[in-house]
Amino acid sequence: MKALYTIITLLWLLSCILSCKKETKEIPYQPTPYEIDIPFGFPTKLNIPENNPMTVEGIKLGRYLFYDGRLSGRTHPDSLMSCATCHRQERSFEAGIDHPDFPGGFPHGLTGLQTHHVMLPMINLVWNSTGYGWNGFLYPDNPDPQLRNLEDFVRLAVLASDEMDGDTTRIKNLFQSLNGYPELFEKAFGSSQITFTHIEKAIAQFIRTLISANSRFDKYMRGELQLSPSELNGYVLFTTEEGADCFHCHGGFGNPLFTTHLYYNDGKDTLFTDPMDRFSITGDPMDIGAYKATTMRNIELQGPYMHDGRFETLDDVIDFYSTAVVNSPSISPLMHHVANGGVRLTPTEREDLLSFIRTLRDDSFLTNPNFSKPEQFPDEE
Amino acid sequence: MFLLKINITLFTLIGILVVSGCTSKTETPEPTTGKLTLHFDHEIEQAPIVFDTMRYTNAAGNKYLVNEIQYFISDVTLHHTDGRKILLDAWEDIHYVDTDLPDTHNYLFKDEIEPGDYARLSFTFGINEVKNQTLMFVNPPESFMFWPDNLGGGYHYMKLNGKWLNPSNQVVPFDFHLGIGQIYYSYPDSITSFVQNYFTVELPQSAFSITANQTTNIELVMQVKNWFQSPNLYDHNTWGGDIMQNQEAMILGVQNGWDVFKVKNINAK
Repeated sequence: MKALYTIITLLWLLSCILSCKKETKEIPYQPTPYEIDIPFGFPTKLNIPENNPMTVEGIKLGRYLFYDGRLSGRTHPDSLMSCATCHRQERSFEAGIDHPDFPGGFPHGLTGLQTHHVMLPMINLVWNSTGYGWNGFLYPDNPDPQLRNLEDFVRLAVLASDEMDGDTTRIKNLFQSLNGYPELFEKAFGSSQITFTHIEKAIAQFIRTLISANSRFDKYMRGELQLSPSELNGYVLFTTEEGADCFHCHGGFGNPLFTTHLYYNDGKDTLFTDPMDRFSITGDPMDIGAYKATTMRNIELQGPYMHDGRFETLDDVIDFYSTAVVNSPSISPLMHHVANGGVRLTPTEREDLLSFIRTLRDDSFLTNPNFSKPEQFPDEE
Repeated sequence: MFLLKINITLFTLIGILVVSGCTSKTETPEPTTGKLTLHFDHEIEQAPIVFDTMRYTNAAGNKYLVNEIQYFISDVTLHHTDGRKILLDAWEDIHYVDTDLPDTHNYLFKDEIEPGDYARLSFTFGINEVKNQTLMFVNPPESFMFWPDNLGGGYHYMKLNGKWLNPSNQVVPFDFHLGIGQIYYSYPDSITSFVQNYFTVELPQSAFSITANQTTNIELVMQVKNWFQSPNLYDHNTWGGDIMQNQEAMILGVQNGWDVFKVKNINAK
């Protein structure tokens, strides 16, 4: 009996030693968690999918991929296209009306096809939970699991014939062959075998870091500076129904995202022919001609304006809301000035409103080196 | 022999732990309190609202439709038959209701409630001046209700958005928004003071009982038509599409709000 217990005890000790040895051989996958610093007044609820937590390594990789023209799956200089080809930091990650390759700010893909709508600002998207795109076709509880979040937007942009017209297999094989990238994927996702899912996740993580919250108006909110009388009067106009009445859709001090991320028919048209309006997603007749309200942050850099880019300048936009709003059965009930054709601003009020809107420009965001093109790509280092 | 002793001791300890675990389960006390939920429905002419459809006429004769209603209630208070007033959930007691968001139609109170008979309940429509602070809500959808600081700050008590047929036979929007009012020295500038427009809704027909280990559900219904008729006739042709800067118009809605809510049903399960 004593011998039996001695043998059992020895076997148990041996198994413990062997299992300990096995554990020390493995290099654990331990990416560094990345915490978003919530700016003053901003929402605390973030749209970060459970299956793609943000990590320092994932964001670093995402930044390389965001700027690498080989994301198109091609290497010829004429066929390079990255996210940054259209999403330019100096234009708040839109194309901008002065884009060298897209006259008037109307982007087209590698095939020459123009995108159906113009671009939306790619900022503060970690706070968008109501849908991406002008009509919100990507939303978290979409029955189609392939159309839910930023990760899906990355894939769609790469595949779309009016954008990169890419091939996921070719792209992942290309990046697998580039020195440095497999190691970065290993650090970010625990495997050097590149998958397109990991490409989507890395780029989405980087995009979620693009936070603009340090404009002159933010500094005013934080009590760090005073605005000019014209800017302050513009803010009053922005936030009053008898003024320009922008705030119900475009926020203000109490909603510093400067958008609700919701969809409105704001009275641009009486005839609706766009097959990709909000109605195409919801089937609700009240959504005919409705599109997402864009954030007003950095808006002066984000022309052309509206989903179809019909207005070149902010002056044009203000003129429209002032005198050219038209009625239709699906016009948003918030457009209560429609009977007068708009909010009827005086020339001084127009100038004051513009002065305020310009306080939402965030120069530190537009030049933040963390968001800019890396000096070298991994295979060049 | 030594190892045998260790094993016997180990089995004895495990046995004690298992038995004590079972014992603690049986000692869980029976709940001595109950729970309360409020459910909100929205009707016109005693029937659920058919949204976005021009089919209603108010007391002033305006034909109108309703697109959406969003509002806050707070300070829900239970009035015990013995005379005590019990304020539920204290500071957290601000609830947002949105006709487009079904999840907001139910309000489950966190507080455990003492069993007994309650004569009625009351609540604040809107938010009182102590609680109604700008940036109190930073997350949507509540944050989208913010009321600009230059107009008094805090949050809209209600947005009731719709359209009416105006005298020119045009269907045009109205935003029946209630919140902090302003008194102007010279309109629209020079505000001299603000008016707290929140008000108490009393529900005299809301006697209910709380039973231990049960949830009592009180179904309330907002009769939207009542916003426009009693004691004040509210005419959209007079007040137009927006009233946030028009205390004269807002006060009519505030005074009409006393009988907007009715108790539809009370049940327990």
